Amino acid sequence: MDTPQTPQTLQLPQTSQWQQHWQARRDPFVEECFQARESLLADLKDPATAQDRVLDDLIDIGAASLHWKEKGYDVIAADPGTFRSVLPVMRYNDFAEEIDRETRTKGGVLSCSPVLRWLKTSGTTGTPKRVPYTLHWLLTYRIPAMKAMWGTCLEHHPEILAHPWATLDTQTVREDVYDFVHGVEHQAISNRHPQLNSRDWNPPWYESPWFGPDAPTSHAGRMYHRVRNLVGKDLHYISAINPSTLVSLRDLIAEHGAELVRDLREGTLRGKPWTDPDEKAAVHLERVLAEDDFSLVDVWPSLTLYSCWLSASAELYRPRLDAVLPGVAKLPFMSCGTEGVTTIPVDDTLESQPLAVSQAYFEFVPAEVPLDALLDAGEKVDTLLYDEVEAGRDYHLIMSQGNGLYRLWTGDIYRVDRIVDGTPWVHFTHRDGVFHSFTGEKITEGQVTQAIRQGLAAGGLETGLYMCGPRWDELPSYTVVVEVPQPAPELDRELSDAIDRELSVINIEYASKRDSGRLAGLRVRTVAQGAIAAYVESRRQQGNATQYKYKPFQKDVDFVDALVTG
Amino acid sequence: MIETIRPPQNIRREIIDLPCGDERLALHVWRPERIKGAVFYFHGLQSHAGWLWEVGPRFADNDIAFFVLDRRGSGISPGLRGEIPDADTVLGDYAGAAAFVREMIGDTVPLSLFGHCLGGSLMAALMCHEGFTTSYDAAVFCSSWLGRMHATLDPATRAAVAADRSGELWEAGLQAADFTDEAKYQHFIDHDDLAVRRLTRRSRAVLLDLERRYLTGRPVTSPVPAATFVSGITDPIVDLDAAQSVFQDLVSGRGALMRFPTDKHYLFYTGVSGDLVDWTSTYTLLQGVNRGA
Repeated sequence: MDTPQTPQTLQLPQTSQWQQHWQARRDPFVEECFQARESLLADLKDPATAQDRVLDDLIDIGAASLHWKEKGYDVIAADPGTFRSVLPVMRYNDFAEEIDRETRTKGGVLSCSPVLRWLKTSGTTGTPKRVPYTLHWLLTYRIPAMKAMWGTCLEHHPEILAHPWATLDTQTVREDVYDFVHGVEHQAISNRHPQLNSRDWNPPWYESPWFGPDAPTSHAGRMYHRVRNLVGKDLHYISAINPSTLVSLRDLIAEHGAELVRDLREGTLRGKPWTDPDEKAAVHLERVLAEDDFSLVDVWPSLTLYSCWLSASAELYRPRLDAVLPGVAKLPFMSCGTEGVTTIPVDDTLESQPLAVSQAYFEFVPAEVPLDALLDAGEKVDTLLYDEVEAGRDYHLIMSQGNGLYRLWTGDIYRVDRIVDGTPWVHFTHRDGVFHSFTGEKITEGQVTQAIRQGLAAGGLETGLYMCGPRWDELPSYTVVVEVPQPAPELDRELSDAIDRELSVINIEYASKRDSGRLAGLRVRTVAQGAIAAYVESRRQQGNATQYKYKPFQKDVDFVDALVTG
Repeated sequence: MIETIRPPQNIRREIIDLPCGDERLALHVWRPERIKGAVFYFHGLQSHAGWLWEVGPRFADNDIAFFVLDRRGSGISPGLRGEIPDADTVLGDYAGAAAFVREMIGDTVPLSLFGHCLGGSLMAALMCHEGFTTSYDAAVFCSSWLGRMHATLDPATRAAVAADRSGELWEAGLQAADFTDEAKYQHFIDHDDLAVRRLTRRSRAVLLDLERRYLTGRPVTSPVPAATFVSGITDPIVDLDAAQSVFQDLVSGRGALMRFPTDKHYLFYTGVSGDLVDWTSTYTLLQGVNRGA
């Protein structure tokens, strides 16, 4: 469509369709984001009303569902005060049967809203989860949460919408989907494609060439595509979820620098005609690349802001981020998972955010309570509400969502930092039962054990004692030491490949991070039978280590040198 | 009428556990914020309400409440798979469900009946069924081969089919590629574990009985207010000329014919799906215009 349609585009007759979309969406988007932020701020000042409203909504959307009626839960509609005594605390797997039914009916089982797609995320058993993404949840919760967060960005940094090249959004993508559950798309929540309706996520850059489904789907290919489109422009803001994305962006520019310079100079993209040559940008990038320790600010001196997760284990990335983005302001990303949003940033506080009291009905259980064991034993779990938690304490998070997953024990542990206007400010500390997560892969002990067992079995080996630890490096990775009858470097390599492969199958996030080059491959070191037991014994004998017990999962990889050379 | 200047609605999707005779069947509803019209859908042999997951929300967003009854033995309703009970039971279930829908939406909301493929044959039989007393405002027959068995089987074969009371399974022989050429939907059809692909031979006798009920000159219980036969330009499963001839007899020659630009059988799994929903919505809503006022 080349004909200008509005006065705004009349001023820019040369613009392409994506730029026209940007121009047309800019002001409405800002308005929508500010409105969502205002609503959130009002709720944070009156959390009781917000939580009551959410509870009423959950009952309204749930009470007439098949599941609630069959179980007799619909009695809650007459008395919302019975919500916690009637509905049990659930784990994702406890919903398996109802989710299975809902895959066939596409709504009406867990809640009275149509399921528009299934959200895919890692499960603990190797089977990707299927989280129902319903129309009601989309309209009432998920999209308003994103808008409120962008409202905070825009409030603090209006320059991020100064022009169509001002923001690089890597938080969300648009990728064609080829995986279906009984005909309905099965995809990550970060993939907001195709648009479900006109109230779905639609930022000004929605049609931008580096954002749309025509961009390559591989991590490196997509990153190159983004950089190629934006290098030489006055980029102000890079938005990511995981800090590793920002680090890898800089690494990608270093690795593909020569190709980028050539593409800029010749007006090509990967050698194919793309746009006008940009000699000035090529020269600038060449100069930047000449410095070994160049930063993203050297590439884009116009950068004023970045955002990503910055608490919990992501905090360990901060020194690296400071090196990659020196002097650039930062805002945190919301605390969220596929299962729901827990906090939304309202200012530039990095270590804490307000509980998003308009996003879910929240309950808490002190972190020291062994929830798993209680639920296994079928015991009733007492919970606290948002106004019963105490600053300085850690809690299991239980949330009820507008998609029908009620009283879901998320497995996340949150620390309450302080209470403001009655609303707790919290931050994510770790996942219950998770061994480690460098970049969102959330490896559990069970997953590692399963991968090692399968990897060894494939080589005809039995699983004995082993130790596993996270290795921090430019590319972080996991190291595993296993006992075998005949240790050998060749066996190390075979087992490394095999166990890495198994873990990729078991944990799809791990696979994704491996594919996108944000995690290095898992390394296996073989040691002789008995070596680990001897190591544990030697530690026990070191004076104060009388309490030392064998633990397969370590917080670091100090054990490797001691075991392999010892 | 449809409000055109508004964002998409937050519509509801419910499954009502509806008492029908000695059973409780699943009546699926997609409900707009305000019901201005309603469509009662008769699914075909193989399909069930689950197939309409994209269609229901679109109807509802057009202010049309969309109802689909999973027949006994179909979808998530109870009953033996591959078994269609006797004609009076089937029609009694539909009559009861239609009456429930009319009561739910009220007397003044226009209601269309919409029968797809075999569902059209069941719908025609219902329109001639004495127990069906619910008022409706329009009937849409979609890709329905009305009178198929009578058209394709000679009298001797029909007599044999009618007499066959065996539980032996008869393969319907439906191919996903005849329904749609989109890979997504073909994959769904091929892997839908709720789909009925085979019928007992005694069920075929019931289908024959149902056809007989509207072919033998028995009049519809009340005049059909408005009726349209909708299909693709051609249909790989249905003899459109033969079906439309029966259709015109049924509606006393007052039926409209409508063809959408596709050559596939299941229009809702083709590129014309949205247009068919929108056309049916408008058609339904227009029945509510009181031109005599």
